[in-house]
Amino acid sequence: MINLRNVRKFYGALEVIKGVDIAVQDGEFAVFVGPSGCGKSTLLRMIAGLEGIDDGDLILNGKRINDVPPDKRGIAMVFQSYALYPHMTVAENIGFSLSLKKVPVAEINRQVGDVAEILQLTDYLDRRPAALSGGQRQRVAIGRAIIKKPSLILFDEPLSNLDSALRVQMRAELQRLHRELKATVVYVTHDQVEAMTMADRIVVLDKGTVAQSGHPMDLYHSPDNEFVATFIGSPKMNILPVTLSRPEAGRLLLQNADGLSISLAGADANTAKGEARLGIRPEHLKVSPSGQGDFSAEVVIVERLGVETYLAVGSLKDPIVVRAEGDLTIRPGDRVSLTVDLSACHLFDPNGRVIRRPQTL
Amino acid sequence: MTDFALDKPGKSRRPDLMAYATLSLISAFCAVPFFWVLLASLDGNAQLFLSWPREWTLNNYVRVFAEEDGARWVFNSLFVVGSATLLVMVLAGLGGYALSRTRAWWKQPFLYAILLIRVLPPTALVVPLYKILLTLNNIEGNLVRIFVGGDTARAIMRWIGFIDGYLGLILVLATMQLPLALWIMKTFFDGLPRDYEEAAVMDGATMLQRIRRVLIPLALPGLAAAGLFAFISAWGDFLLPLILLSSPELQTLPLGLFRAFLRVNTIDYGFLAALAFIYLMPAVIAFGFARRFLVQTFSGGVKG
Repeated sequence: MINLRNVRKFYGALEVIKGVDIAVQDGEFAVFVGPSGCGKSTLLRMIAGLEGIDDGDLILNGKRINDVPPDKRGIAMVFQSYALYPHMTVAENIGFSLSLKKVPVAEINRQVGDVAEILQLTDYLDRRPAALSGGQRQRVAIGRAIIKKPSLILFDEPLSNLDSALRVQMRAELQRLHRELKATVVYVTHDQVEAMTMADRIVVLDKGTVAQSGHPMDLYHSPDNEFVATFIGSPKMNILPVTLSRPEAGRLLLQNADGLSISLAGADANTAKGEARLGIRPEHLKVSPSGQGDFSAEVVIVERLGVETYLAVGSLKDPIVVRAEGDLTIRPGDRVSLTVDLSACHLFDPNGRVIRRPQTL
Repeated sequence: MTDFALDKPGKSRRPDLMAYATLSLISAFCAVPFFWVLLASLDGNAQLFLSWPREWTLNNYVRVFAEEDGARWVFNSLFVVGSATLLVMVLAGLGGYALSRTRAWWKQPFLYAILLIRVLPPTALVVPLYKILLTLNNIEGNLVRIFVGGDTARAIMRWIGFIDGYLGLILVLATMQLPLALWIMKTFFDGLPRDYEEAAVMDGATMLQRIRRVLIPLALPGLAAAGLFAFISAWGDFLLPLILLSSPELQTLPLGLFRAFLRVNTIDYGFLAALAFIYLMPAVIAFGFARRFLVQTFSGGVKG
């Protein structure tokens, strides 16, 4: 298993990784996800050994490997560009690390054959990378990684060069490989859908810190902060500024300028009154018959997908998104009445920290 | 694309014809001098003006090698220009890589400064250059004479002397060609993702293995282009060998051509044409070899 303890990285005076703690168990598929500039690729490169670690410990299988050179760490990496050597055949690309170690040719051929079998590349071993499709190049890059029998495989946004249909296919492929190889994987992406579909554990990174780490569904249902709440899930969670008050013991009253007024049960006595932010996912807002909802607003955009309909209501600049089942014949300009699913409300303090989770409401 | 494909064939025939006619004219304009030289070199009685040979002969070529020191000149030219090209390729390969990867503040000023070498006309610098080389040559000569005497020293200085020696000319020619080659290689490495090297690092390649098994193969198209430019440009240089070489044994092809032209008795056009044609060939052959790499280098780097 791999352990990062209070890991830091500076570029000059600028701290890009600000004391990160992450633990990934053996055989786990861990995904580092976050917007560009959050430090996820830097962190991956630090694990690989391509970037130095300025502070903290990087521990692989109980051994501190901060100062171990990249090729001695037992870690393999699949690059975003694949970085297949254009002057070598597929077989030479996959066997390169063995040939550097002066492994006998017959042994290299045998191992390359085994890897090619797993990755269904047997028919392409004599080709150059230029003569392969995107998916095949991806598999060669993976082959080059797994032939080293690494205890950890790193992926740096490996699907970002593929078109969307191939991306879906490769997601399934990577999961199959992960199951078959039982390898520990750290996978970096900016795409939360990739993270949600493949990960056993998601680590959400924000500005060089871990915003939250856990099982995808934990992050979805119980985000620790507004950043994770809005990053995970698509379309993203709506955040509404509200004012909290406590009209009676054990209840919280949430009100906003648009006339929203909802009352949540089971209020914690410690919850501060005053400004707060209500988080509510698009699927937890329901279109109700006129006048019966918690608040009403004007529809500005309607996206009809057939199986579901997305309504953007309120202002165009900062709309509230509603996901409704089926095909609705609502038109922009109409006013709709909306009901909030009270059991699914998240509450965040003005700094974005969670103060109420849906389960406890 | 689609628009062209949908056009009827007849519709585009006229502009096509115009294009071909123009291209043929330009090609003819470029090719005629070659044929002129070739015809004249095979003519037993060549004159200043082009005429169809009445008497075909290889005698002019035979004379270049048998009566004159043609083989020596070819060797000198190939050796000097070849060595300079090799030196340029090695230095430009290493330097271009360093210039591409460094983030040092002097990078841009340095790159523009070295272009100055290329921009200044060598003719203007000939006197100071000669003085510097002469001084170096004298120091070197004295050092050599400490260890070996008279004739041996002269033989050694013919190889490593700065004036009237191979080394001096090789170094000066290489210096002239290095800036452009450095720019070509720097631009080439700029287009080469670091991922290749990092992948090799992850695979356990040492620095030497990375250079030999990854970087050199990847850089080959750029090196070929840089080398070709250096070779053709140095091959065509006349002024520097004229000034730096004086011994007959060190003469290069352009000098042989020049001196044959200057001879006091009547000008032997057949002989000159044969010599000129021999002088042309290496540049043409070099271009033929490197054309494929040129296209790759100047149309978008490495694919893979």
